[in-house]
Amino acid sequence: MSTPEVGAGIGIANLPNQRHKIVAKRGASLTLMVCGESGLGKTTFINTLFTTTIKTPKNYKRRYNKSAEKTVEIEIIRAELEEKQFNVKLSVVDTPGFGDYTNNRDSWMPIIDFIDDQHESYMRQEQQPKRHELSDMRVHCCLYFIRPTGHTLKPLDIEVMKRLGTRVNLIPVIAKADTMTPTDLHKFKKRILEVIAAQNIQCYSFPLESDDDASTRRNMSIMAAMPFSIIGSTEDVLTADGRTVKGRQYSWGVAEVENEDHCDFKKLRQLLIRTHMLDLISSTEESHYENYRHAQMETRKIGEAK
Amino acid sequence: MAHRIGRRKNVKKGFQFTLMVVGASGLGRTTFINTLCDADVVPKRESDEPDMAHVEEGIKIKPYTVELDEDGVKISLTVVDTPGFGDMIDNEYCFQEILGYLERQYDDILSEESRIKRNPRFRDNRVHALLYFITPTGHSLREIDIELMKRLSPRINVIPVIGKADTFTPFELAEFKKRVMEDIEHHNIPIYNFPFDPEEDDEETVEENSELRSLLPFAMIGCEEEIMVNGRKVRGRQYPWGIVEVDNTQHCDFAKLRFALLSSHLQDLKEITHDYLYENYRTEKLSRSAENLSD
Repeated sequence: MSTPEVGAGIGIANLPNQRHKIVAKRGASLTLMVCGESGLGKTTFINTLFTTTIKTPKNYKRRYNKSAEKTVEIEIIRAELEEKQFNVKLSVVDTPGFGDYTNNRDSWMPIIDFIDDQHESYMRQEQQPKRHELSDMRVHCCLYFIRPTGHTLKPLDIEVMKRLGTRVNLIPVIAKADTMTPTDLHKFKKRILEVIAAQNIQCYSFPLESDDDASTRRNMSIMAAMPFSIIGSTEDVLTADGRTVKGRQYSWGVAEVENEDHCDFKKLRQLLIRTHMLDLISSTEESHYENYRHAQMETRKIGEAK
Repeated sequence: MAHRIGRRKNVKKGFQFTLMVVGASGLGRTTFINTLCDADVVPKRESDEPDMAHVEEGIKIKPYTVELDEDGVKISLTVVDTPGFGDMIDNEYCFQEILGYLERQYDDILSEESRIKRNPRFRDNRVHALLYFITPTGHSLREIDIELMKRLSPRINVIPVIGKADTFTPFELAEFKKRVMEDIEHHNIPIYNFPFDPEEDDEETVEENSELRSLLPFAMIGCEEEIMVNGRKVRGRQYPWGIVEVDNTQHCDFAKLRFALLSSHLQDLKEITHDYLYENYRTEKLSRSAENLSD
C-alpha cells in the first residue's frame, strides 16, 4: 500500500521550522560529561570547545591539602551560553580522581551511579502529580578521554566504557593527540575501533543519511574520524607563516587546534554543537532514558524506592 | 674524583652496568631502550587480540644484554624492562614484583660472599639504577609515581624521567619539572640526584653535577627511526607541524642522560649500589636472621 501524496501540501513540511522556533525560544539544556584520567586535557578541551573559561585550571598550591581519601568525585560546572539569541544551559560533569590511583578497582561506581541517578530522578519527577518544572540533569553525552599510548585500550578503559556505553551516548576521544605522528595516530585509531568492536562497547552513532548530499558527506566524514583526536588550547599563538591561531607552540612548530590536518577538533565541535546537539539530547531522552525506565519498571512498582 | 680514576684503570677490561626501566606502557620505555642502545634490543610489542584487551596481564621482568662501545670503552649493558607495570586495574602487586627481583639479586651476592669457595665466574646481576618514567600529565606526581619511587629507593638508585616529553611546550615542561621536584621533596623521596660536595670536589665536578641535577626529571623523547632534516639524517619524530630530534639537547634531555649513565656517572651509580644500598640490605637481612635465631 503506498502513502498517498498530499496534493498542494497542507503545511506538514513546515513542522521542522515550527520545531526550530520552539527550540529557539526555549533554548536547549545540554549536560556533557568528561571522563578519563587526570592530565589528559579535559578541562582545557571544555574551555577550548566553548571558547570561554568554563572551568578554571587546577590550583597546584593546594595539592598537599588533599585528604588521604582515594575517591572519585563528581564535579558539576554550570554555564549559560548565548549565541545569536540562542541560549544553551550547559552543565559539564567532571570526574576528578578517576584512574589516578594505584588501585582503581570499582572506581567507576560513582560515575555510573551518577548517570543512573539522573535517570532515576527524572523518572520519579515524571511520576509526580505536578510535573511541569522538571529538573533534568540526564547526561546527554559522555566524552571518554583515552591516553595517547599508541598501543591499545587498557583494561580499566574497557571496564568503564562498557558500562558507560549502555547508559549514555559515549564518544571516545584520543586526548593530547599532538603526541602522536600521523602514522601512529592512524594505527592507534584502527586498534581502538577493533577493541571497541571485539569488546562490544556501544559508542554513539547517528544516522548518516540526510536531506542534502553535503550533509550526508559531512556526516560520513565525521563518523569516519572516530575516535576523535583532539588538541586543546585557549592560547593564541603565531604560526611560522604569520597566522594567529589557537594552538600549542613547541620548539619545533605550532600544533593548531582548528587545523584538520593536525586533529579532529573541528569535527567533534561540529558534532557536539553545530549539527547533532539536538540528536544527542533526544536520543538520551528517547533511548537511554527509556531503556533505564523499562529495566526499572520490570522489577519495580510505580512509586517504589530503588 | 674516585670514579674517574677507576675509569682509567678499567678501560681495557670494559664495564658492566645494569639499568632497570619502569613506567606505564605507552610512555616510550621500550623505544627509549632501543634508542639508548641504538639497536632493536627489545622487540616491538606484539598486538594482542582485540578480544583479549580486557585481560590484565600483570608485570613481567625481562633483562636484555647488549655490548656497547662508548668512544672505545666497552660496556656490557643489561637493561631490565618491566612491561605491564601500571596497566592493571589494581597495581599493588607490581611493586612487590619489582622489589622482589631487586632483592633476589642482593640475596645472590650475599650467599656468594658467604661461600668458603667462591665462584670466580660469578655474575653480579645487581641493578645499578632505575629509570622511572613519569606520565606527562602536566599536573604533578600521581599516587602510583610516589608509591613506586618511595618503595624502591631504599634498594636502588631511582632517577625520575618524563616519558613522551614532546607533549609539553617549553613553558609547560619547566613548570612540570618544578612541580615534580616539589612533590619529591614534599614526600621525602630519596632519588639519585648527582651528589657533589661543593667544598671537596673540584669546580668541574660541581658544575657538571649541578647541571644534571637541575635537569631532573629528565625529559625523554624516544625514536628509533631516522628521517631527513635539511639534508642530514637524524633520529626524530615527524609531526605535521615540525620535527622533534632525539639528540638535540634543545628538544629533550636524552643525550645528557645517556652520557651520565654510560660515561660520567656509571661508576658512581655502581659504587652507591655496592657500598651503600647493598650494605644496608645486608645489614637489615643479617640483623633479622640474628634476631630470629636469638628468639
